[in-house]
Amino acid sequence: MGEAILFTLFSLSAVAFALGMVFRRNAVHCALHLVGVLLSLSGMFVLLHAQFIAAIQILVYAGAIMVLFLFVVMLLNVKGETPLLTPGAAKGFGFFFAFIAFVELLWIVVSQGGTEGEPAPLQALPPNFGSPAEIGRILYTTWLFPFEVTSILLMIAVVGAVVLAKRKFA
Amino acid sequence: MGSMGVPTEYYQLVAALLFTIGLIGVLVRRSALIIFMSIELMLNAVNLSFVAFSRQHGQMDGQIFVFFVMAVAAAEVAVGLAILVAIFRNRETASVDEVHLLKG
Repeated sequence: MGEAILFTLFSLSAVAFALGMVFRRNAVHCALHLVGVLLSLSGMFVLLHAQFIAAIQILVYAGAIMVLFLFVVMLLNVKGETPLLTPGAAKGFGFFFAFIAFVELLWIVVSQGGTEGEPAPLQALPPNFGSPAEIGRILYTTWLFPFEVTSILLMIAVVGAVVLAKRKFA
Repeated sequence: MGSMGVPTEYYQLVAALLFTIGLIGVLVRRSALIIFMSIELMLNAVNLSFVAFSRQHGQMDGQIFVFFVMAVAAAEVAVGLAILVAIFRNRETASVDEVHLLKG
């Protein structure tokens, strides 16, 4: 029962913050609304027994990535968009295609992705499900190669960001 | 606990809703910065979907995928924001409507 109440609370706040993020004029307000979405999602991760992912969500996303966003917002000092949304027919097309995408996603959820029969019931969880130790064990055994590739990707990104930031433009 | 938890479909529904809101942001906003934030929102909607399925099947591979998505998102933000700063330095704008050098 408590889980259902918390789920409702987190999902409502996530959707409300997301709408605020998309339709606010001030970029700083948008960034803070995005932080709200991220925190609501980390609450949902805890409900789903993904404690480590929830902690990482707050540390990496709400902490590091959003600070980066806020730095750039303040660095650029972008004036509020006028008009807020893209003008003319493009706006109508945008909402139209987003609606179509939502109907498709809804269809996938309702139709169980095309599988026949009843959906699989929620599985009973092992006691260490979602714990940092278990995550680490899987990450360094089954997913070792993707993990190493990710480290190379991050290094390339850091080098790319530095090169872009230091280049002198004509 | 056991089978009393919130059904996975509800989580998928919230994920679909968040993804759509992010998609609207990408399609109708003009500031490249807000478009970036909307992409982050879409990535997070997918993350929620991953974690919900991971919990339904009792397997942690979905959580590992979330880990990788976060790493890729961090790399993307670092490079993307650097590009944004470079564009702003050059053109004094962050609006995607005014950055059309490739259009000829």
